[in-house]
Amino acid sequence: MKLEVGHIFIKDIQFGAESKIEDGVLYVSEEAVKAIVLEDEKIKSVKLDIAKPGESVRITPVKDVIEPRVKVEGRGGIFPGVIAKVDTVGSGKTYALKGMAVVTAGKIVGFQEGIIDMSGPGADYTPFSKLNNLVVVCEPIDEIKQHDYEQAVRFAGFRVAVYLGELARELTPDETKVYETYGIMEGKEKFPNLPRVAYVQMLQSQGLLHDTYVYGVDAKKTLSTIMNPTEVMDGAIVSGNCVSACDKNPTYVHENNPVVHDLFEEHGKTLNFVCQILTNENVYLADKMRSSDWTAKMCRLLDLDAVIVSQEGFGNPDTDLIMNCKKIEAEGVKTVIITDEYAGRDGKSQSLADADPAADAVITGGNANEVIILPKMDKVIGTLDYVNTIAGGNEHSLREDGTIEVEIQAITGATNETGFNCLSAR
Amino acid sequence: MVKGIEAAGIPVVHMCTVTPISMTVGANRIVPTIAIPHPLGNPALTKEEEYELRKGLVEKALNALTTEVEGQTIFDK
Repeated sequence: MKLEVGHIFIKDIQFGAESKIEDGVLYVSEEAVKAIVLEDEKIKSVKLDIAKPGESVRITPVKDVIEPRVKVEGRGGIFPGVIAKVDTVGSGKTYALKGMAVVTAGKIVGFQEGIIDMSGPGADYTPFSKLNNLVVVCEPIDEIKQHDYEQAVRFAGFRVAVYLGELARELTPDETKVYETYGIMEGKEKFPNLPRVAYVQMLQSQGLLHDTYVYGVDAKKTLSTIMNPTEVMDGAIVSGNCVSACDKNPTYVHENNPVVHDLFEEHGKTLNFVCQILTNENVYLADKMRSSDWTAKMCRLLDLDAVIVSQEGFGNPDTDLIMNCKKIEAEGVKTVIITDEYAGRDGKSQSLADADPAADAVITGGNANEVIILPKMDKVIGTLDYVNTIAGGNEHSLREDGTIEVEIQAITGATNETGFNCLSAR
Repeated sequence: MVKGIEAAGIPVVHMCTVTPISMTVGANRIVPTIAIPHPLGNPALTKEEEYELRKGLVEKALNALTTEVEGQTIFDK
């Protein structure tokens, strides 16, 4: 399966009378975008704002971050089974608006939504501070159930992203990248001497506002499965979760998964990138056992030499991670696992809830318990009402002088477990 | 906590959903429970059925507490 991804660089966003992209500037008609959001009767009102890199702006509570894309050639459309009709995506041609994102925010849904600072020390921890962000702040109708509100905001973000992506349909991309994977036999013939490597992606699926959707299917109701790695570039996986902000994968991360991109960099050179394997992180032990059994079984069936496994979230999914690692290794397939740590504020506690000697190649996204002091910002998009109650905060987080003391857990993307973050030991 | 209390000479039953973690941390008597968000209940059941389920789990735990074990044991029968 072959996909060309055309990059349209967006260097600025401005509100304008008409939505369009001109000379790298995205002009947004507030009226048009608001109408798209308000198509859902569960949303009472919506405010739009623009946040640019370097500004004294704090966005919170952040729900999702989405990169606008448009399918210009080939089957299906962006966000299949969610916005576009169900059809296999990942081939043909897609354009992506680079350097910008749609950020959904507003009154809190759960208790694990995040903070994006556009400048200051907090900005160094979130990859999304480097983007021009169109922030969609939604206010739900009164007496709405939390899960209905979560769904309404989730879909609103996707509708806005698709609307903005469409503006690029007739443009010429600034650069184009080509990604191609092969059938099992075809790949073996093409690269007979290269190790066969797959990416095992664990999707957050604990339920109760901790969910991920694959082609619109709730991941907790799925068995482990395989995909072409280009499918995610067309929005085959979307986030619907309010897990701790630091290590959940916003939709933007699924669209731009760095494990997928790095494996493509090496594809045909040092390895044969066979496929992406999706598995889940459910709350029943039997599900954990079944899903990891299936993952290991597929690794063997595909005659893989090695896999990279990425986790999403923390706590009991550490067990899914270790089960995957142990069982895949037992099939004779080498593993590298990517996780993050909750090692206490001093970093001295046990990092993961589970462990095994088979996990002898581990990459960390960082210690989520590390504390940071965020300076007061001139402008807040959303509300500071929940800073003391989001995961990573406490009753003393928001101080009188407007500064915030939180664990980096509260910063969107700070310890991302696909490597889509800025932390480094160097 | 399980290990700390046992170190003081008092036997402990660890009731939990993810028994592999319990094994990793070194509990000796482990009783598997329903699910992480609702270890000792099941919202899918009626109130009466759930009462039976809960009573059964507590009885199983009490039984485990009074059972001699040779090393780590999961009471999954």
